[in-house]
Amino acid sequence: MKLFEIEYISLIAGFILLIVGLWGIISQRNIIKMIISFSILDTSVHLLLVAVGYIRNRTAPIIDSSVNKLNAANEITDPLPQALVLTAIVIGVGITALLLTYALKLFRQNSSLEINQYKSLKW
Amino acid sequence: MKILRSSALLIVVGFMAWMMFNLYVTYDSRTELNDVAAYYAEEGLSEVGAANLVTSIVVTYRGLDTLGEVTILFLTAAIIGLLLKTEKGTRTTPVRESSEFLMTGARILIPVITMIGVYIFINGHLSPGGGFQGGAILASTFILLLMSISNKKIGHRLLDYTEAISGLSFILIGVLGIILAAGFLDNKIFSLGTFGTLLSAGTIPIIYSLVGLKVGAELSNIILEFNQIQGDEDH
Amino acid sequence: MVNPIYIVAVLLGTAFLLGLFRKKGTGIIALVALAFPVFVSASWFFHFLSGNTEVLNFFTAGAKPPFSINLQLGIEEALFTMVINVLGFLGYTYLYRDFKEQGIKSTVLFLILIMGLNVLIMSRDIFNLFVFLEIVSIAIAGLIYLKRGADTAIAGFKYLIALGVISTFLLIGIAFFYLFSGTLNIDDFLNSNLPAVKGMSMAVFLILMAILLELKPFPANGWALDVYQAAHPGISAMISSGTATASIFLLYKLLPLSSIDWLPYISIIGAITFIGSNLLGIAQKDSNRLLGYSSVGQIGLMLIIIGMAPQLGEHFNLIFLTVFISHFLAKAGLFWISGIIKKDNIRQWSVLRKNKLLLFMFGFFLLTLLGFPPFPSFYGKWQLIMELAHGSQFIWLALILAGSFFEGMYLIRWFGFAMKEKDESEEKLTIHWEKMIPPVIFTVFVMGASYFANNSSDYGHTLNLIPIYFVIALFLLDFLPAFVKNSLVIASMIIYSILLYPDISDDTLRLVFAGIFMIGGVLTLFAGYSVKGKREGFFPFVVMMYAGLIGLIEAENLFQFFFAWEIMTLGSYFLILRGKKSIKHAFNYMLFSLGGAYLIFIGFALSYFGQDSLDLSIISATTLPGWTYTLLAIGFLTKTAAIGLHIWLPGAHAEAESDVSPMVSGILLKAGAFGLILLFLLMGAEQSEQHSLLYILGWLGAITAVGGNLLAVFQEDAKRLLAYSSVGNLGYILFALAFMTNVGWLTAITYSINHFLFKTLLFLAIGGVVMRVKTHNMYEMGGLIKKMPWSFIAVLIGIITLAGIPPLAGYGGKWLFYNAVLTKGWYFQGALIFFSGTIAFLYAFKLIYSVFLGQPKDKFRNVKEAPIWYLIPQFILMIGIMVFSARPDLILKPIGTMLSQSNYFPTDPLNWEDVTATTNLGYWSGYKIMIVIGVMFVVLLGWLMIMSRKAQKIKQFNIVYAGERPFTPGTTHFSHNMFSNYYKAIGFLSWPVATGFWNGVNLFTHNVADNIRRIYSGNGQTYIVHIMIYTIVIYLLMF
Repeated sequence: MKLFEIEYISLIAGFILLIVGLWGIISQRNIIKMIISFSILDTSVHLLLVAVGYIRNRTAPIIDSSVNKLNAANEITDPLPQALVLTAIVIGVGITALLLTYALKLFRQNSSLEINQYKSLKW
Repeated sequence: MKILRSSALLIVVGFMAWMMFNLYVTYDSRTELNDVAAYYAEEGLSEVGAANLVTSIVVTYRGLDTLGEVTILFLTAAIIGLLLKTEKGTRTTPVRESSEFLMTGARILIPVITMIGVYIFINGHLSPGGGFQGGAILASTFILLLMSISNKKIGHRLLDYTEAISGLSFILIGVLGIILAAGFLDNKIFSLGTFGTLLSAGTIPIIYSLVGLKVGAELSNIILEFNQIQGDEDH
Repeated sequence: MVNPIYIVAVLLGTAFLLGLFRKKGTGIIALVALAFPVFVSASWFFHFLSGNTEVLNFFTAGAKPPFSINLQLGIEEALFTMVINVLGFLGYTYLYRDFKEQGIKSTVLFLILIMGLNVLIMSRDIFNLFVFLEIVSIAIAGLIYLKRGADTAIAGFKYLIALGVISTFLLIGIAFFYLFSGTLNIDDFLNSNLPAVKGMSMAVFLILMAILLELKPFPANGWALDVYQAAHPGISAMISSGTATASIFLLYKLLPLSSIDWLPYISIIGAITFIGSNLLGIAQKDSNRLLGYSSVGQIGLMLIIIGMAPQLGEHFNLIFLTVFISHFLAKAGLFWISGIIKKDNIRQWSVLRKNKLLLFMFGFFLLTLLGFPPFPSFYGKWQLIMELAHGSQFIWLALILAGSFFEGMYLIRWFGFAMKEKDESEEKLTIHWEKMIPPVIFTVFVMGASYFANNSSDYGHTLNLIPIYFVIALFLLDFLPAFVKNSLVIASMIIYSILLYPDISDDTLRLVFAGIFMIGGVLTLFAGYSVKGKREGFFPFVVMMYAGLIGLIEAENLFQFFFAWEIMTLGSYFLILRGKKSIKHAFNYMLFSLGGAYLIFIGFALSYFGQDSLDLSIISATTLPGWTYTLLAIGFLTKTAAIGLHIWLPGAHAEAESDVSPMVSGILLKAGAFGLILLFLLMGAEQSEQHSLLYILGWLGAITAVGGNLLAVFQEDAKRLLAYSSVGNLGYILFALAFMTNVGWLTAITYSINHFLFKTLLFLAIGGVVMRVKTHNMYEMGGLIKKMPWSFIAVLIGIITLAGIPPLAGYGGKWLFYNAVLTKGWYFQGALIFFSGTIAFLYAFKLIYSVFLGQPKDKFRNVKEAPIWYLIPQFILMIGIMVFSARPDLILKPIGTMLSQSNYFPTDPLNWEDVTATTNLGYWSGYKIMIVIGVMFVVLLGWLMIMSRKAQKIKQFNIVYAGERPFTPGTTHFSHNMFSNYYKAIGFLSWPVATGFWNGVNLFTHNVADNIRRIYSGNGQTYIVHIMIYTIVIYLLMF
């Protein structure tokens, strides 16, 4: 069935994770949970990126013994999204680390990890 | 009140889900490489000389992106250092000694893991892997190290120097690319060598090694910063 | 020419290099590193400017796009990278000390920020743009922390979460974009002409939405406002000017990707942002947050302009660039000033008065933002409004002006606080020189931009800029003593008038008003000689006001007229602000003036609709007469303070300085009258259709006359009394103008001259008295005739003229007036005017009696006469009144001739037999009356003197005067509550209806602003929900 091909599964999984992540960010009060949701969100996008690059029945874009040098264009999956994902993962790591650090600073300030305790800047 | 809030949020998320669904249905399974990817497949080998096409894209074709990525990690490490400057201090309570099991295991595993990491980033152009992956593995070595020698202080200096020097070298190689070859981060300033060997693909192994070291150093730096946060009680 | 990649290499390399150093002293290295990109991008910019228009591409990695990433440099990229790099260099200079304290890491962040911004502008690859957008954002997230306070962590966290969600959208968009198009390069995509796929538009939607969210649209921008508030102002400057620039350019770059026309939506988003943000700014008290609201608002305006690019055609560049550069330079400047004085509440900015240069720059940048001439955005906004009118986009026109009005409200209020609010701080303002240099440099840049904008605009080169240069000269010469500057100004005004005379000698109307403005100007300036010292901050604005006034006379097209109008308003605002208690009144004055000016603006725009030129005459040919004339009329009426629009006048005129009151009351009000005259003349061709408008204006004039005079009667403050009297007088003029008959206009113009003469005289005289007794309240004065005889005579002459008693000029005016009324047939209104004339007697009497007659008070036994410099102009004015009363034909004949000769009022002119005026209702001979009254006066005086020789001289404290206790004024003074029984009878007419109405409007606006801004609840999570809802709404609108 079409729906059970690997690319559709990854795509659906990606979107589901996306919604889960978004839901988490806006509904969870605990800051750490918000950050975890963000991480899930991030992962979902990576998943989507990779899924976009997949072509059925093809192999990894490395020209070694399993790929014929001259016919590479018909035997490999798309290498570009994989390169993009590498960069995206690192960016996600960076943001997550920063979020955690800011969460720590917030905790030092008010000894609370609830997002609604930090409303001093408003209107 | 809580139900009101939850349902309002549900509606919002529902709409988002609907938007994403509209995006999803437009997807059709791919059968062919598009032009850009086909170019990489066909010409990538002869132009860049690396077997791992993803590596050739990351390091050479889209080298500017990689430079940006490396910068982001550098930024992150710097910012965390900036923010956590006030957190450091001497621990008031003694740290519990690591268990014997951990220490022995670490002694055995650390060299092995390091080797794997180094292998991965040195062979980035030949097999799956590369600087980032290798660097991440090196960082995990560092975590193990930290956990096993928890009562010793580790300075940042070496890590900072590694970061800085590898970063500078990266840029230097890039600039050499402009001067000696066709563009920034062109890998052809060194010879392309024989395909499939370690010293092929021009500057790619060098760059990826630098990247690996840099990433490893930066991630380790971040972990070190986190580790040095003084808690309210020891654990 | 240098490859722009070297910018990246140098900045990044320096950043990495600094990581090696642990010691301080790295500031210089960073400074040099930041100077390099300035040099590179500036040289590219001039390269493109000199005619090489070919866009250049710089490849990387030895491969061509779309397989590798390329950087593009065209004139646009060069311009924007240049401004950003200059900002980076100056911004670093500004933050030098702070970075030194914080350590090397923050410098590193800054270098990378600038590098990221450069690549954002130059790169042509979508994913690359994503990466560098992240770099910029993360760098900002780190730099927020520079202030290291409690709030910075909160702001930083909210910012990061928002950033995370936005970048997620962007990345998904990019992923699917790649899926459907097979490329990541903008140019490659545009060249490939792919068929439109549904998914593609979705993907592009996500990408563009993410960029739009980065621009902090209202209301999904709570997280951004927190950042502006909490971060170090030096960083906020970088965000507001730097990242906003890059983001807007990014949007501009990526817009062509979409197959749907996004432009209308962008305009709508921009409009909501512009109006919403500025409206909310009204309720804002934190200065940095307020600047944040203003930034968001300005970006909204720029979005509107971008969205209208196709309609604006060739004018787009000028409009966008002037608005952009104004925002860029002024915002950074204001944030920098904020960082220097370190005060969070806008009321505390009174501390600016400690440093004149800072105060000047503050006002300067505020005016830049507001779009007053001669600043760049004036030219841009003018062009924008005119183009919108041309394309009949009237709603947009109104929205933009509404948003600008709101912005004006809080900016002017802020300036008032800075100038007038009590300065509570005791400490000296420590200013580091490196923090002053960047704002000063940007001030110079604004001046340069004004110059260029003037030259590039269609009509700018037609302006006579000599007065403006004179204003600048006076700013530079402000250190000179007052009498030097005064003489300079007087001399130049005289010379200018002489030079101007040949140009307007054939246009009697203009000649009359030019005479009023210039002669009046010189006379009132004479009074200024009495002030010792330097009188800083007075003369430039005086010249500004008169420059505006004379500009009105010289104006040949709508642009020049409006330019002069705004300059005049600006100068007079600053002058009025100088009064001791005038902060509230100056603010009201400015608000009403701004509103009136915008109404005039709309009126002009409406007349431009369907026309080609901007000549004044197009007003006659407008295709929307009803709207145009009504709006223009209301606009001018705000200046003449017709009833309902008058509430600013009493305060403004009364609280102004002694020599400023005559200027604004005697002279400035005439500008409005002049405007009305022009308007009616231009309406003239369609008079028959405009019957209803004129009829209403006639009633308005009559009611104003009654209302103004009535309110004057119950005043205890002498200057307020005169001010309300002016309201009534101008109503009188309006009424006469509305007749549209020969005699009616003669009356109006005569009365304008009369009003100028006697009001200036009265204000000068009372001003002199107030200077000596130091109070405005008439019940504290009394018996001053002995000590100030000359002032007494002046006031006497003044009120005789005012009340229209023979033999002085006012009487002739009344005669003319009744002729006009009877001929026209507006009997009821005429009766009202007659009634108001009677009322005028009341307050005229009160004025002279309370101040000069009666018993002198202890306090004032030793007052001197008013300063000689006040008396001289009074004498001259009195002579003028005398001459005019005896020989009215000197002025009236030429005016009459002009009115008859033109097509306007050929019927029923005033006929002259020699020096006697006749109509079919009677005759008037000025000098005959003078002789008659003069003889009567002399005879009676002689009789009195003969009879009083037998009178016994009595000292003040003799029992004879027991009825009055001379030494306890206040409630026992006869003058206090003098007309209380009148008040019981007709006082209800003086209830402050208008004030109540306007207060209500003000309160309503404030409440709306206050309530809407509560959506920024402070909860970071809620802001994310805002973002999502915003995205969903836009999505639903577009698909």
